[in-house]
Amino acid sequence: MTAINNECPYISKNKINFTFDGKNLPAYEGDTIASALLRNNIRLVGRSFKYHRPRGIYTCGIEEPNALVQILSEHNEPNTRATIKRVYDGMEISSQNRWPSLKFDLGAINNILSPIFSAGFYYKTFMGPKGFWKNIYEPLIRKSAGLGKPPKNFRSKSIHQYHNTDIVIIGGGLSGLITARKFVNTKYKVLLIEQDSFLGGILKNSNKVDSINGISPLEWIKETEELLSDSKNITILKNTLVTTYNFTNHLVALEDKYSGRKIDLKKSELTLHKIRTSLTILSNGHIERFISFRNNDLPGVMLASSFEKYIHRYGVIPESKPVIFTNNSSTFSLLKSMTSLGYKPEAYIDSRKKDEIETEIKKFLKNNNITSYFDSEVEGCDGNKKVEKITIRNGKNYFKLNSSMLCVSGGFNPDIHLFTQSKGLVKWDKLIASFKPDTSFQRTLTLGSVSGNYNFKKLCDEINQKLSFLKTKKANLEIKCNVTNKFSLRELWETKKKKNSNWSKSFIDLHNDVTINDLKQAITEGFDRIEHLKRYTTNSMGTDQGKISSINSLALVSKLLKKEIAEVGTTTYRPPYAPLSFAAIAGRSTYEFYDPERKTSIHSWHLENNAVFEDVGQWKRPWYFKANNDETMHQAVQRESKMLRQGAGILDGSTLGKIEIKGRDALEFMNLMYTNAFTKMKPMTSRYALMLGEDGMIKDDGIICKISDQHFIATTTSSGAPKVLADMEEYLQTEWPHLQVYLNSITEQFSTFNISGPKTRDIMARVFPHIDFSNEAFPFMTFKNFDYQDTKIRIMRASFTGELGYEIYIPPKYGLELWEKIFSCGKVFNLIPYGTETMHLLRAEKGYIVVGQETDGTVTPLDLNYNWMIGKNKKDFIGKRSLSRPDTARNDRKQLVGLLPINQSDMIEEGQHIVEINKLPNKIKNPIKYLGHVSSSYHSPNLNKSIGLAMIKGGNNLLGQRFFVTVSGNTKNIPVEIVNPVFIDPENKRLTS
Amino acid sequence: MILIKCPYCGERDQSEFANGGEAHVVRPKNPESLSDKDWGEYVFYRNNPKGIFYERWVHSHGCKKWFNVVRNTSTDQILKVYKVNEKRPDLTEFENTLKSPSGEPSVGSGNFAVKK
Ligand SMILES: [Zn+2]
Repeated sequence: MTAINNECPYISKNKINFTFDGKNLPAYEGDTIASALLRNNIRLVGRSFKYHRPRGIYTCGIEEPNALVQILSEHNEPNTRATIKRVYDGMEISSQNRWPSLKFDLGAINNILSPIFSAGFYYKTFMGPKGFWKNIYEPLIRKSAGLGKPPKNFRSKSIHQYHNTDIVIIGGGLSGLITARKFVNTKYKVLLIEQDSFLGGILKNSNKVDSINGISPLEWIKETEELLSDSKNITILKNTLVTTYNFTNHLVALEDKYSGRKIDLKKSELTLHKIRTSLTILSNGHIERFISFRNNDLPGVMLASSFEKYIHRYGVIPESKPVIFTNNSSTFSLLKSMTSLGYKPEAYIDSRKKDEIETEIKKFLKNNNITSYFDSEVEGCDGNKKVEKITIRNGKNYFKLNSSMLCVSGGFNPDIHLFTQSKGLVKWDKLIASFKPDTSFQRTLTLGSVSGNYNFKKLCDEINQKLSFLKTKKANLEIKCNVTNKFSLRELWETKKKKNSNWSKSFIDLHNDVTINDLKQAITEGFDRIEHLKRYTTNSMGTDQGKISSINSLALVSKLLKKEIAEVGTTTYRPPYAPLSFAAIAGRSTYEFYDPERKTSIHSWHLENNAVFEDVGQWKRPWYFKANNDETMHQAVQRESKMLRQGAGILDGSTLGKIEIKGRDALEFMNLMYTNAFTKMKPMTSRYALMLGEDGMIKDDGIICKISDQHFIATTTSSGAPKVLADMEEYLQTEWPHLQVYLNSITEQFSTFNISGPKTRDIMARVFPHIDFSNEAFPFMTFKNFDYQDTKIRIMRASFTGELGYEIYIPPKYGLELWEKIFSCGKVFNLIPYGTETMHLLRAEKGYIVVGQETDGTVTPLDLNYNWMIGKNKKDFIGKRSLSRPDTARNDRKQLVGLLPINQSDMIEEGQHIVEINKLPNKIKNPIKYLGHVSSSYHSPNLNKSIGLAMIKGGNNLLGQRFFVTVSGNTKNIPVEIVNPVFIDPENKRLTS
Repeated sequence: MILIKCPYCGERDQSEFANGGEAHVVRPKNPESLSDKDWGEYVFYRNNPKGIFYERWVHSHGCKKWFNVVRNTSTDQILKVYKVNEKRPDLTEFENTLKSPSGEPSVGSGNFAVKK
């Protein structure tokens, strides 16, 4: 039965209520979920990952492998460690990975099927007969292996905070506090980070320390905390866990601001601290490890120091008559804790030989009349969903003890996780049978048990010596302890198994259900490198990262391989130290803050006129406008396209990138950046231009306006603008610093409207009555500046639809008003607004390409038959030399062609393949000859048939030939004819008249 | 996350910068005179050593200036920062710097975090 330690000072006496699997339970403020469950005598809390074995609470901290629960009252947050998370009034919790209920779980059949799930099962199941994975294994694994369920909805709940500091002390335990005291009122800016809600570490988690300088540990903690809080240079962060130790002493720590309190949905509950420091002091302690024996996972098995922590930290004695099983001297303080509260363990089992055991322990056992067995070990334990009987081996004799709890200590590992993250070097220490820090790679110090120093008496000396750069007073504390003079341990990793059954298992990784047999099998199968073994067996790859077991597995593997443990090495410790939710990492970068939305000055008008938007980079662009609520996208696009070619249409082109290029050498620079020749171009004219990469492939396109040899304006694609500007800047700075050129992004300085269609000239004449828009006064590809109200506008004659067209540039402040004026003037000419989809359809009818649709980073201007855009007489431009490389000069490269389905109503799909056969075989045995792909496909309302653009190998020589386009989900292909890609007005009469 | 000292702005977090690959790869003055092989080397081939590397960085979320950095790709230590127009520092300057962290081999990766 559970008992209570009423003297615990860390738990308040305020009663609260929470629910576990629907059952209402009492607890005290300050309880963790685990301590509250133990207080209610509940020991079965979950089912295991693979085999669905019943599991209980194994530890009392971050290292917990079993007790993971789902918090229903916090957006269904899964995989929460019950040993860390504090309860509050009204909290709702459920157990995980069980169906239909925790006590009766059908998935437990996996335990009987365990041969399927042995080492490497994920890999082996892929190798089975065809269809086995898809039809049998995957559904089985998906249904039965797993942890909690993902949250139902997501809330932005963390903020990020940045620190620049001199010293970070990680761990506010005994050594961390002594260290911090040395920094009181010094010139150093110090951050002390403690994972628990209370400072003190071992002082509050055990009775190992009796007094410090004559006062109780609790009083000493209080005194120290006051001292530190009064010191202006020291900041204490509690409930904060350091998860990551990066290069250049960069640390990441997560603070839980609502620990033990109901979360406030309006506030962030987490703070992710990003810390840069000059020196990191690790005083983050140690973690107890377990021992493998038969059924070492049964609810009721618990680490000994965790059991002790429940007594002192939470005032819960998980069981009044437990059996203690140890291989070292540390359990002495647990014995003392129990007896001082008037309880007596059922038995004390020590695997050490009698003469290895300290006299003081033997004397204590005798004086208190505690049943003890030396040179003995636990063979295993049995029971129905809990420990009931414990089998002890003493020499050749086996006998059973009755108890419902077994406290195990297999020794302690310095918690080297963060130290190795920092790239520090560790070494094996025989005395403690564990790895400890050796050489730091960064400015890192380790103090106390994390450095392998388990002796309280030597702690002050260690701190004084390692902090010798400090001029402050030497720490000199008189620490009285309840521990043996020296720490001693006899290596023990697994005990001998007496009986074999399908149900009995000896675990090396509780979280991922890895057994000792899995390790042995993996080694037999040849996975004898520790990194391979880890991945093959999934050992220590759970969310606990094998904190209580990974050193055990290294030791076992080294024994199996008959190698020294240092030779086997450790696996790589990677951040984070403990699971870090995506919500914590995301911070405020969620929803509308994830990526800014850019809207044009006409956006409100688009909204009022039923625009459906499309994301283009960060921009919101009208995709199409709905004439009425019933109109489909296809209907809208067909209508817009037809009306534009009959009357006129206007597009909000404000998103188009615009870069101003100015300076003495602007002309030379433009000649180098673009394929076109700008030297002979007349001022106030414009030109369609291409920008290539140095590999000759098209990167961007746009219209270049030449104001003078010293002044150009380049437009770019809507999403390409930042990259184009950055590339220009890079060349100017790194390759041509001698060129005097200045670049400026002017995208947002102008609202841009593209108005086109046969009636455009009439509309423009009404909007701007003082401007002469005749072909003679305003020819194609010229532009002019005009006064407009009290501002200036620029009008360019250009078109992306193939019709007569103008582009108007106006400061955004005047944009909406002008847009509305154009509509009032255009009404009689049936002017319509159109979106990007219609723009794409119209340009496809005209055979114009879209960068990113016809091109994909492997297309040169030659592949598009855009040879006319290449300034052949220019000595050099970016990508020029690559156009004559043997590969780019091949004439069987994919080239741009048009496609017309033979049956005019057939619609071909973008992205489909072009092949020579009319039907694909039902089973494809040999590769099908592939000629190219469809890059654009539309139903043209103006030609009343479907049209397409395609990139086809050697396409220029295939005009008039017939091929086939594949169809998704069908073996019958669509017959097409290869044609010239310009479907409308190939003579450019509409454009230029 | 390393710290980089922009020669124009000072020490800043890595997240403010973008890496531009190997430094001192000069664009040929006269590309047309190069053989296909030589031009291909310029366009497609870059070094990627484990150890000391001369590379370009740009303070993309700051002053937008390009500069050069000598970095040990194995230890992530920045050994020198210099402006684009400054002389390439000699390799001998970095002879006495740490070659790799935690006793890693000079070629390849692998976990050698344990002192033997
Ligand atoms: Zn800068």
